[in-house]
Amino acid sequence: MMPVRHALLILAPLGLVLAAFFLVPVLMLLPTSFGSYVPGSGIAKGVWTLENYLRIATDDYYREVIWRTLGLGLGVSLASLILGYPVAWLIARGPASWRVPLILLVVFPMLLNLVVRSFGWIVLLANRGLVNNLLMQLGLITAPIKLMFNLTGVMIGLTHIYLPFMVLMLVAAIRNIPRDVEAAAATLGSSRTHVFLSVTLPLSAPGILAGSILVFVLTISALVTPRMLGGPTYKVMATLIYDEYVQLLDWPSGSALSFALALMAIGIIWASSRLARRWAGMA
Amino acid sequence: MSDGTDHRPGRAVTAAAIAVLVFLQIPVLVVMLAAFSTTSYLTIPPKGLTLAWFGKVLADPTYLAAIRMSLILAFGSTLVSTVLGVAAAYALFRRTLPGSEAIIAFLMAPLVMPAVVVGVALLQFFSLTGLRGTLFGLLMAHVVITVPYIVRSALASLAGLDGALEEAARVLGATGLEAFRLVTLPLILPGVVAGALFAFITSLDNVPVTIFLIGANQTTLPVLIFSSVEMGIDPSVAAVSTLLILATAIVLILAERRFRLHRFV
Amino acid sequence: MSTLTFEALGKSYGDTEVVRDISLTIREGEFVSLLGPSGCGKTTILRMVAGLVEPSRGRILIGSDDVTRLPPNRRGLGLVFQSYALFPHLSVTENVAFGLRRRKVAGAELDRRVREALAMVRLATFADRMPRQLSGGQQQRVAIARAIAPRPRVLLFDEPLSNLDAQLREEMQIELKRLQRDVGITTLFVTHDQGEALTMSDRVGVMARGVMQQFAPPEDIYHRPATAFVAGFIGRPNRLAGRVVRRDGAGGRVRIGDRVELAAAAIDLPDGAAASVIIRQEAIRLAAVGATASPSDAPDRVPGVPGTVLLRSFSGARVQYVVRVAEGVELVAETGSQGAAADLAPGTAVSLNIPPEAVFAMPPEEPAP
Repeated sequence: MMPVRHALLILAPLGLVLAAFFLVPVLMLLPTSFGSYVPGSGIAKGVWTLENYLRIATDDYYREVIWRTLGLGLGVSLASLILGYPVAWLIARGPASWRVPLILLVVFPMLLNLVVRSFGWIVLLANRGLVNNLLMQLGLITAPIKLMFNLTGVMIGLTHIYLPFMVLMLVAAIRNIPRDVEAAAATLGSSRTHVFLSVTLPLSAPGILAGSILVFVLTISALVTPRMLGGPTYKVMATLIYDEYVQLLDWPSGSALSFALALMAIGIIWASSRLARRWAGMA
Repeated sequence: MSDGTDHRPGRAVTAAAIAVLVFLQIPVLVVMLAAFSTTSYLTIPPKGLTLAWFGKVLADPTYLAAIRMSLILAFGSTLVSTVLGVAAAYALFRRTLPGSEAIIAFLMAPLVMPAVVVGVALLQFFSLTGLRGTLFGLLMAHVVITVPYIVRSALASLAGLDGALEEAARVLGATGLEAFRLVTLPLILPGVVAGALFAFITSLDNVPVTIFLIGANQTTLPVLIFSSVEMGIDPSVAAVSTLLILATAIVLILAERRFRLHRFV
Repeated sequence: MSTLTFEALGKSYGDTEVVRDISLTIREGEFVSLLGPSGCGKTTILRMVAGLVEPSRGRILIGSDDVTRLPPNRRGLGLVFQSYALFPHLSVTENVAFGLRRRKVAGAELDRRVREALAMVRLATFADRMPRQLSGGQQQRVAIARAIAPRPRVLLFDEPLSNLDAQLREEMQIELKRLQRDVGITTLFVTHDQGEALTMSDRVGVMARGVMQQFAPPEDIYHRPATAFVAGFIGRPNRLAGRVVRRDGAGGRVRIGDRVELAAAAIDLPDGAAASVIIRQEAIRLAAVGATASPSDAPDRVPGVPGTVLLRSFSGARVQYVVRVAEGVELVAETGSQGAAADLAPGTAVSLNIPPEAVFAMPPEEPAP
């Protein structure tokens, strides 16, 4: 067995890199979030205030953005679950020869550049985009309908981007269900729908939870897609943080919002892992 | 079903699944079509086909510089992350350190933290330390966001290893380093390569951290596309995107052939 | 080829002493087994010899070299693991060549010695296979070839046969013993299987809770166990709750239930103590009452213990009886499947002849091995 000294020695480089370039910078954000922003000159010296956090909790605009972010998280998780389940089911339980090509079709868009995928949706959804052009050519509409810079565009884009994560989680969960259990239910006279509802679906619940949490956290943290498909006006927390840092230079407010976002993400992951543990305890 | 044993997905489910899979590929296909279209807005069918946009991109020094920067960051951060991540995972595997679960949680933390938050935290940190706009700063930022993938895949690969293998090598005369190089490393290599591939793609993909940290004359390819789109759609964006799509597809196919990648996703 | 010596060798984890001051010398070319229940410290000793666990106290010498602080790669040992630990990414040839390459053996010499080692385990035709293409028994042979190819000074085995099925295990025991004789390597073999240890070894060390109970040739271990633990661990024992009636030298008399009183060869307890009484099944001789009507037939004058056959079970070469000797006291007795005692029906009244050498008394809290 390796001596503790050696183990610490080869663990140390990564530990130090993460401490220096992750832990310390994030912690240094904390004092900033209690600072006071002076337009034009940055952060006021020696002033400590809760104002930034109070504003997040009370200001109507901030609250709207936060609720919108959480709503998107919920909506995208749900849409991914509904769209992803059939795909996962087909991969896990369909013909064996389909499995690898299907997985590659799921993984390929996932590996593809986020900016490129969002750009693809712009080409499709813009006012003079493919969808509007097609609908007008077919005579179904006379003026372009607004598919971007609103909820529709952001929902479609985010669902497309995080759906593969959900599918992979569900595939793992469905594969873990012993086929015997499904077969047993079927031989006991259950119809296929009934087998699905009474056996497959409940037994894949841990995967559904894990996939939904993952998609939810990724969605509320997303910057690129909401920015590209939501534009400068339809804002979520991440894009608001971006604007406060890059355009308004209001770092105190931006860092408070950053902590709010980080706490949401971490809190949800923590809560779900507790829930998953309780489920595992019941089984 | 009449025989009661067939619980495969039915025709409706299969059709729905295929529709979703098509939905997943649509933006990809659209981008590729737009890259060859003569008009700046894509129509079906396209008004005409051209390779001009590719020529424009490959002659544009801004794009070339951005591609170069992206590749430097992706290769550099993947290399550093792989070395540091595999070493850390190996230490955790070979030795039951006190609090090893907490250590693993710490190593995986950058994955949990929203990327924007990492971005703004590093923005402030680099502004204070003078690292903003330096290649070193960017490289370290990319190491932070890519290393969890390496640690995760290396830990998973190591967990499947018989601990007696290295002991056998040691007793047969191998030094600790030889035992790692000749026995452990070849056995965890497929998993590590899969992790490195994800790390590479993550680095190449990243906007939310990079965009806060680049200097005045620096940019990466995704950041450039991201900011070009804010200016308005240009088919040269589609052309450079198509190049990325092709590169990704080639890497994915090679990885699948060589390492049966689908086992690791 | 070398001697292997332990000098007051000990290992503790925190306050737990897993190996207590073991001192012994294994002679050149000797085959020694360490035998004991799991957790007795035998594997820890083997791993200390290999350099995989650092001793807390004492010294390990190979020949006259003190190797106590040497890393495993500089000890010149061969080790066969319970899991075989074959390198799955290397062919049979490369597995066997691994140790040779580390010793800078190359070229024709390397080929020759790999072939030689594989021939010794009769696997010459499998040289190009990968480990996963071999059966368990074949993998076992590759592991042995890999261990002996570099001509180690001492060969170590860590329960190498426990993953094989019963028949293959017996074949391998004989083959291993022959191989060890041919090569003449000093061998330390760790096992929990007494049959394995007794069959193969020149000497056996029986261990319990980190303490060497007895280190002696197999015959002595079986017929003259040094402690009650050894007596209870070796052979096929009955274990009955009883009491020491009288001490007399090393032995004395024990009582089981209200009426049965027996002479015992070894008693590890004071007079009057509650005891776990060990009676070897295979040493009990039984005869139907009446069949031994004339007392002059009996070679000695030990009075038989009366009992009733409850159950007979036949297993080929042996027959086992469950005999009730008193209310609530049942014994298992075993005989060969030929002869008068081999066919006693349940209900038969029998007389049991229990020789004192087959009776031992040990503290009742002693856990069953």
